[in-house]
Amino acid sequence: MPWSAVFETGRGERLYPYLMVLPAFILVMAVVVYPVISGIVSGFQDLTLRTLSRGQVTFIGTRNFERVWADPVFWTALRNTAWWVGANVVAQMLLGLMLALMLNRPVRARSWLRAGILLPWVVPSVVAVLTWRWMYDPTVGIVNELLVRVGVLKDYFPFLGDVGTSLWAVTVESIWKGTPFVMLLLLAALQMIPRSVMEAAAMDGAHGWRLLFFVVLPQIRLAFAIALILTLILTVNNFNAIWLMTAGGPLNSSETLFTLAYRYGFERMNLGMASALATLLFVFLVAVTTVYLYLIRMREEA
Amino acid sequence: MQEEIVGVRRWNRVLLHIGLWCAFVWAIFPFYWMVVTSLRPESELFARPPALFPRELTLQHYTELLLGGQFWRYALNSLFLTLVVTGLSVLTSLTAGYALARYRFRGSTVLPALMLYGQMFPAVLLLIPFFIQFRALGWNDSLWALVIVYLSYMLPLCVWLMRGFFAQVPFSLEDAARMDGCTRWQAFWIVIVPMARPGIIAVATWSMIHAWNEFLFAATLITSAEKRTLPLGLNGLIGQFTTDWGVLMAGGVLTALPIVVVFFALQRHLVSGLGAGGVKG
Repeated sequence: MPWSAVFETGRGERLYPYLMVLPAFILVMAVVVYPVISGIVSGFQDLTLRTLSRGQVTFIGTRNFERVWADPVFWTALRNTAWWVGANVVAQMLLGLMLALMLNRPVRARSWLRAGILLPWVVPSVVAVLTWRWMYDPTVGIVNELLVRVGVLKDYFPFLGDVGTSLWAVTVESIWKGTPFVMLLLLAALQMIPRSVMEAAAMDGAHGWRLLFFVVLPQIRLAFAIALILTLILTVNNFNAIWLMTAGGPLNSSETLFTLAYRYGFERMNLGMASALATLLFVFLVAVTTVYLYLIRMREEA
Repeated sequence: MQEEIVGVRRWNRVLLHIGLWCAFVWAIFPFYWMVVTSLRPESELFARPPALFPRELTLQHYTELLLGGQFWRYALNSLFLTLVVTGLSVLTSLTAGYALARYRFRGSTVLPALMLYGQMFPAVLLLIPFFIQFRALGWNDSLWALVIVYLSYMLPLCVWLMRGFFAQVPFSLEDAARMDGCTRWQAFWIVIVPMARPGIIAVATWSMIHAWNEFLFAATLITSAEKRTLPLGLNGLIGQFTTDWGVLMAGGVLTALPIVVVFFALQRHLVSGLGAGGVKG
């Protein structure tokens, strides 16, 4: 009899599902739940590299939060984050939807078009970001050259080095990188709309915009909501694009809450303040995730 | 009237093609520019104004990158991380996803929700405790520590995706195998796992892409030059005053290439995996 026969009867049978989940459960507890809890706790501690090496970490109540609150850069970063998230989500959702609708039509060379349009999403973000940084180069960048040739710009402009344009320039890269994923999610949903629904709508004389707003969009509303929330989360958490192109600069003009938390923690080495700010972000994202789960549950019941 | 509609349709088709080809060019232009930059001789790189099409092509940046420097070491580090993380996340999510889809037991509805929350944590919030813990344990600057960190944000999603796949597997086949004398454990490997192959491919591709591309944790936790991964190595090529963009872009091409190849070879599975696990819940 094989050793695994112990799972066929009695206690072994009852334990079997728990044992199957156990490795993942232990790992998630050790590498997700525990760090998150200790991260939140350290937001209430006087945690810097100095107190850490002396072993003198103490609780200081909400003082870290007050310090973050009192930092003028925090308010700049908050404004930037609102703009950054808003611009990215709106642009990526609109462009993603348009592309998905277009790619859902029978077009010549569709699989080539789709593969090409997906490419930005696939490529490692560090590679993509560094390529864009090179394209934005203020002396020999191709973006400048093209804009001058088209007549938009008179002269070369340091997009990443100017307080007025740095966040815009990074946003363009981020839209370029993020849109294909939205397109992919929405295209999958579009392809699952039953043919009969579309035929019935056509019989009833629905065309163009009407077909889109009253038939197609309601059919993909759940995928749309999910794509929206995922885009929001990915944008809030997007560190590489900003850090590797402008590092939040110049003069904090492209600083977001995420990069600011990183700066608190690993430039100023004030890990307590960094944790406090990260906790604020976390609370915001949990609220969003709850909506996400609620939507999925709604669908499972439907 | 009829002619008018046909005319509108034709215009729509033209617009459709223009729109799609514009999007295509917009999406791939940076790659074109990356490849062209990596193949241009030094003199042409800093010519003003930059020319859209290269006049001369050379492999000098590639030879410089591959012969000098530490590109191979970075590549090996990345490969090691990617393989270990992918293997571990596939194995653990395989059994967990199966049990969560197959059995009702205490916690079987709460756990998937927990898994989903697990992928939403802002990475900075995890980064600080990891930094402190690893410092206390003396694990900073270790690739094995990075394996643990990567699992932290890979595993929840993998379990979630895998559960979605197992929800579609017909478990009656497992019962049939057990009638024929298999134990559950044997039936799992002989019957269930082969049926879940698309799910395994989706999860494996997903974690490969993430482990290969990750930057933030590696940049914070790895300090010595010989333990850098490819993304770190690339960023390290950015100099304070001058940057050799030709070599950097050659490195970019070589870093992106494996992941692009893997993705397009397996994209069918990945997309259906997202469909089954992520969107269908």
